[in-house]
Amino acid sequence: MTTNRMQQPSKSTDAKVMNPADPNQAARQVNPALKTKPLDLPSKLEGQTRYLHDMNFPGQLIGAIYRSPYAHARIKRIDVEKARQVEGVHAVITADDVPNHKYGPTKFKDWNILARDRVLFIGDEIVAVAAETKEAAEQALALIEVELEPLEGVFDPEAAMIPGAPQLHEDVELNRPMKVDVARGDLEEGKQKAVVVKGGRYVSNRIYQGHLEPVGAIAHWSEEDGITIWAPSHIPYRAREAYAAGFGLPEDKVRIIVPPIGGSFGAKYVLKVHVIAAALAMATGRHVKIILDRYEDMITAHPRVPLTFDIEIGADAEGNFVYKDLTVYADAGARVYWSPNVIATACTRPDNIYHFHNVKSTGYLVYTNNSPTTCMRGFGNAEMLFAVESVIDEIALELGMDPAELRLKNIVHAGDTTLHGYRLDTCSLDACIEKVKELSGWERRKELPPYRGLGLAVANHVSGFRAIDPRFDGSTAVIRVKPGGLVEVETGEIELGQGMTMTYARIASRVLGIPEDEILVKSGDTGRYPFGIGTLASRSTVMGGNAVQKAAESLVREIRQLAAQALGEGTVYEAGVVKHKDKTYSLGDVADWFRARHAGEELTVKETYVPDTELPDATYFGHPSPNYPFAAHVAEVEVDPDTGRTKVIGYWAVHDSGMIIHETMAKSQVLGAVAQGIGWVTMEDLIVQEGKVLNPSMMDYRMPGAKDMPEVQVHFVQEADPHGPFGAKSLGEVALDPVPGAIANAIAHATGRRGYVLPLSAERVWKSLQA
Amino acid sequence: MNGGRNHNPNSNSSMTLTINGKDVTWTGEATASLADVIREGQDLTGTKIGCRTGECGACTVLLEGQPVVSCLVPVASAQGQAVETIEGLARHPEFRELEQAMQEYGGVQCGFCTPGVMMTTWAWLQNPALFGGDIGAALKNNLCRCTGYRGIIEAAEHVLASKGAVR
Repeated sequence: MTTNRMQQPSKSTDAKVMNPADPNQAARQVNPALKTKPLDLPSKLEGQTRYLHDMNFPGQLIGAIYRSPYAHARIKRIDVEKARQVEGVHAVITADDVPNHKYGPTKFKDWNILARDRVLFIGDEIVAVAAETKEAAEQALALIEVELEPLEGVFDPEAAMIPGAPQLHEDVELNRPMKVDVARGDLEEGKQKAVVVKGGRYVSNRIYQGHLEPVGAIAHWSEEDGITIWAPSHIPYRAREAYAAGFGLPEDKVRIIVPPIGGSFGAKYVLKVHVIAAALAMATGRHVKIILDRYEDMITAHPRVPLTFDIEIGADAEGNFVYKDLTVYADAGARVYWSPNVIATACTRPDNIYHFHNVKSTGYLVYTNNSPTTCMRGFGNAEMLFAVESVIDEIALELGMDPAELRLKNIVHAGDTTLHGYRLDTCSLDACIEKVKELSGWERRKELPPYRGLGLAVANHVSGFRAIDPRFDGSTAVIRVKPGGLVEVETGEIELGQGMTMTYARIASRVLGIPEDEILVKSGDTGRYPFGIGTLASRSTVMGGNAVQKAAESLVREIRQLAAQALGEGTVYEAGVVKHKDKTYSLGDVADWFRARHAGEELTVKETYVPDTELPDATYFGHPSPNYPFAAHVAEVEVDPDTGRTKVIGYWAVHDSGMIIHETMAKSQVLGAVAQGIGWVTMEDLIVQEGKVLNPSMMDYRMPGAKDMPEVQVHFVQEADPHGPFGAKSLGEVALDPVPGAIANAIAHATGRRGYVLPLSAERVWKSLQA
Repeated sequence: MNGGRNHNPNSNSSMTLTINGKDVTWTGEATASLADVIREGQDLTGTKIGCRTGECGACTVLLEGQPVVSCLVPVASAQGQAVETIEGLARHPEFRELEQAMQEYGGVQCGFCTPGVMMTTWAWLQNPALFGGDIGAALKNNLCRCTGYRGIIEAAEHVLASKGAVR
């Protein structure tokens, strides 16, 4: 193992364009004018990046949406005639004006374009307007008459499953579209072996993803091309498929162009606002732009799926885990966005960190009259680990064991196949725990002053997940050598700010031996670039990275063949030039050789990476990812006993993400995740009462600011994984997964009181101290 | 809300302000937000709109050198004053050092908050004392959901330290 024991310098030079010793610089003859800013960062820093909000088209109309004020109601009457008379209004559409197909992004087809007969949550879309100005659109909204008959609503998943509860969807009895049953080993036998049993009811709350760029879309329609939607979405191909079904169109009649995305964290997958913009574009023949303001974005937000866990973990007297018994209730809200994947993850993922031997998980996905819920970074796993890691600390307390020792005794190792079939070719979780103990000064734990606490939590994740699309998995990259020698990489994966383009440029640079600033990475257009499953499940580095590596290797082979054809025997390709006898030839020359032989076409290679994974079977058994990252985090907190307020005063994050390709961006991923976790545990809560969001502003939904962040030490234990590009594993989500557990355990250590319900707000912690 | 698109002839006023060193005449409602005047009147879209309630700081610009959330500034109150946006700042010779540091320390990801963060950080670098000396305090009106702030803080402190070394 090549554990990198060196202290990580906070500053790294790797954000600079890599220009390794470049003996061939002159020979490459790349015209400096061709060198664009290959990295997206300078453009962002200079304010030149144009996000959706910054884009406008000639003749563009502004769209607006009339939404239900009730959580559940029957639509008695809609009258839009007055709205249609407003000057500057081009279209006012209702369910009668749009196709009526059942569609949706998952196998649960419960979406409509506009509400027909009933509305199911506050914010459900009833009428849409397109007008020349926002003022005209707003005036039209004010003149729409909708008569609604309020119906009884149901807001709690357990209440929604009781026979006789209001039923949201006619074909789904007991409001339960999905039930997960997972069982391995012999639960009863495990229970008999248990000496210590801990557990309880843990609750993970609604978290607003907090994307700084509000949600929106611009759409256009033409007979020839069908629907084009400019939509910040990081699963544009799935969105295309879902939306095409909604309009009854073939998939290729919907094109999604992805502008730079101003933050998502899971919020910008598939959204009704994209569909409604398209419906308005079809109705008007004009470009239609809809940007939600922050209030509308938050009132109708599709937050992290709230999960309630009834969990029990048993251990023998030596601290060996013997079983885990779990029931999960997930609030899907009124329609299915991405919640099925969330509950399936919650029911399985943590069983691939510890040897529980005997597990049972039962998961209920339940409709309620709340706004549909969806994914956020680390979905299913981070919530579940909050509960699992809390319970494990309770067991350690009962056994009188060090929580780190208890974990080390039960974790998975390299070479293991986990309970659910994950094959761990690499796993440095043990080294991560040892390292985080060392960095955090874990031994101080016994001597901390009152109301100070140190908490540890560990995590795993996947690098892509085979079951996202049962039909196929993998990624495709195209590499073109442009006239003049600039190299373009095209991918179906999506840049979210996580550094995907820099990662791909670096991978291609290493294979081709040319500087990163001669490589342009392009993505985000279903009409132009290769198919992509989407940037979710921490896919992009490993899936897309492997594809880029394969394509770059293929390009090198292609260049060698062309050189032999053009120059004869004895050619050598290295570092961006072909050498033959005393002469050197640039990639621009190579591009010309290809064009001369192929009717002017560009030198292009296309390669697909298909991972060696297994689709999990009906019992959720299988090897779903090429490799698995791990992490161990320690949080140090100080709790004010007079107010209950928690301040995170130190944080240590040690990761096994294989070899790190871009250290600066990798570290920034971890720091951002720690901030999101601090927000989640100590302050953030999208408060919903009977379906109504009570805090729909950034003032009332407080997210961490600069002063809420402690010093954070990030360390990577680097061991090359055989399945990742240059040995890499994923990082984006595993960085958030352990944070809630680590902070919750630190608070429990500081106060002697276990918190079961997130967030562990000042009020909750204070109350626990009074008990 | 969208004051920049309001063209009510009864409430139009005309005023002049300076944006990035250029005199700009604005005709429209006096209460139009400075952010809309910058974005829609001048097509300077580097100034971002995240919330319109002054909470997120994405619309931060410098008004007479001081960072303000331009979504809450009525254009009338900027009359005759100098406004600097990220597009103007990016032309400053010393901008490169901060830009480079932000990349090297991981101070930028999705980039949406970034122009506002750059404006505040720039103002802090000119006069740290104005903000109590601490870049963390200076950033109290700038939300970033991606980076966890540490990269921004380290980049700012690095640039300040190197300025000190030069002087």
